Amino acid sequence: MNMAVAPTGTAASKPAAQEVLLDVKNVSLSFGGVQAIKDVSFNINKGEIRAIIGPNGAGKTSMLNVINGFYHPQVGEITFKGETRSAMRPYVAASQGIARTFQNVALFRGMSTLDNIMSGRTLKMHKNFFWQMLRFGPALDEEIEHRHKVEEIIDFLEIQHIRRTPVGRLPYGLQKRVELARALAMEPELLLLDEPMAGMNLEEKEDMSRFILDVNDQFGTTIALIEHDMGVVMDLSTRVVVLDHGEKIADGTPEEVSANQDVIDAYLGVAH
Amino acid sequence: MFYREVGQFKTSYKADQSIFPILQDRIGIAVILFVAFAIIPAFGSDFFLSSIMIPFLIFALATIGLNILTGYTGQLSLGTGAFMGVGAYACYKLTTFFPDVNIIIMVLLSGFFSAAVGMIFGLPSLRIKGFYLAVTTLAAQFFLEWCFIRISWLYNYNNSGAIEVPRREGFGDIVLAGAAATPATRYLVVLSIVVLMTWIASNIIRGRIGRSWMMIRDMDIAAELMGVRPLYAKLSAFAVSSFYCGVAGAMMVFFWLGAAEVESFDINHSFLYLFMAIIGGLGSLVGSFMGAAFIWILPIIIRALPETFGIDINAATVEHINFMLIGGMIIFFLIVEPHGLARLWQIAKEKLRTWPFPYT
Ligand SMILES: Nc1ncnc2c1ncn2[C@@H]1O[C@H](COP(=O)(O)OP(=O)(O)OP(=O)(O)O)[C@@H](O)[C@H]1O
Ligand SMILES: [Mg+2]
Repeated sequence: MNMAVAPTGTAASKPAAQEVLLDVKNVSLSFGGVQAIKDVSFNINKGEIRAIIGPNGAGKTSMLNVINGFYHPQVGEITFKGETRSAMRPYVAASQGIARTFQNVALFRGMSTLDNIMSGRTLKMHKNFFWQMLRFGPALDEEIEHRHKVEEIIDFLEIQHIRRTPVGRLPYGLQKRVELARALAMEPELLLLDEPMAGMNLEEKEDMSRFILDVNDQFGTTIALIEHDMGVVMDLSTRVVVLDHGEKIADGTPEEVSANQDVIDAYLGVAH
Repeated sequence: MFYREVGQFKTSYKADQSIFPILQDRIGIAVILFVAFAIIPAFGSDFFLSSIMIPFLIFALATIGLNILTGYTGQLSLGTGAFMGVGAYACYKLTTFFPDVNIIIMVLLSGFFSAAVGMIFGLPSLRIKGFYLAVTTLAAQFFLEWCFIRISWLYNYNNSGAIEVPRREGFGDIVLAGAAATPATRYLVVLSIVVLMTWIASNIIRGRIGRSWMMIRDMDIAAELMGVRPLYAKLSAFAVSSFYCGVAGAMMVFFWLGAAEVESFDINHSFLYLFMAIIGGLGSLVGSFMGAAFIWILPIIIRALPETFGIDINAATVEHINFMLIGGMIIFFLIVEPHGLARLWQIAKEKLRTWPFPYT
């Protein structure tokens, strides 16, 4: 009886079809004996904020590394903007429009805030070596054009006062913000954020949440967000995928996921 | 009190991104260039030009070359001396084949040969890093030294095994190279090339390519995720760096030594340039000049001191003092200030900016 009702019921209640930006299909990844990801599939729709959560060692960071080509999964395939691939170099992922921030800040420590953000424009700058040598004409125009864009981002993230500071000297919270700025400078279609609020106090978290929402809202950037703070996840995300020990144990809206018994067990550490 | 940017507001990003955004720095550099191009050649003695200024400038250029690779791109090299040798021998062969072409053009062209050789020896850097890469550049050093000795075609089969610089004229009949070239002429040629190439280096470093080098140096993983291709970044750094070293090597023989054999390009020299880069400050162009001055000029001053003050001291003792001083400074900088003299200079400028009101 149920079976007869189900198809029509779901079809009627389904929202308008979403455009899928990224589709991860049956991905498995192992390092020697350690299986970091086991047969995980999920997708990210264009324009949404997709949270990836799970206990420590669940494979969240590994998943981002697979998506931007840093790790090559043994099994499975990834479709981004309709193009399918199983392995690619990170700079190819970057050129296709994927940017990210890191769990442990990975800024260019010897460079100023401004240069760090300018480095996000690398792929958009094309003037050749000879113009660069002279830093004149087209090369200088290009540099200034991108400087304008970078200044917009600096204003957007409210970091004008640290423009010239070498990033190594900045406090942790600001470093995370500069890292976000650097990723935004790439004007990505898909932005991967690996625990952007880890180690922050409440006020900094609120600022960062606001920036993430604004980025999503104003630039229409699709975001994949790894975050441990459930409050933040509930507030920000459209849908949540939950990993545990490399496996996907739940996928749905924040409400659905937080009511899911497997998820509660995983977080409370119930033995499987 | 006078070294301030107060009141100097930048109204465009163009002005903000110029080499010397602070007015006092611009005046300073203009004064230095005026002294270097006009005062020194007019009033400097032959000894001052030939034995102090010319080698100082050439060493500074070699140090800039090394700095591009090690200071800006983070790839340690122990082969600077050999890459300079490639430039020197290439220049010698070029001017042998084309004696009528202006020697300055040949010196600059010889940089392309060392750039090519540098790129070949830079290939391992795509797979290996740090200490192990230093070992491969060491291998390059020894292999090239071997070539400089064994391939007698490189020094035109001279019995001495050395390059002997022939007389070369240019710009009408001015003698540019060879025994008849005046110190002032050679100095002006070297100075012009060094100033031009330093300006170019600073342009490259402040632009996209220089940033990609520093990205690789600071965090190669993140660099790749921002779209930097390690292959291009590293090999371009090897090429540009070796180009600079090659030109420095060619100038060293043609405008300073007049004759050279393999000893001028041996491993000791490679270390010497590394010390210059470290003491001056890794990743600083100004520092390259400071480091070269420190290692080349300071010992000359120390050697001259006993005589000036009439102190009777054994010349060998003075040499020992020199060695100890330089060795001590290297250790000091490695431990206390890895960014070298350039960083000390920067700190001094920051202090000066607020002097005499440190809290304003
Ligand atoms: N490069 C690697 N080599 C070997 N094992 C790895 C590597 N990267 C990740 N792992 C392993 O894969 C598993 C998943 O790690 P991952 O970093 O993806 O977890 P995570 O969900 O991001 O955890 P956390 O919340 O602590 O950041 C862990 O067991 C980890 O030890
Ligand atoms: Mg992680």
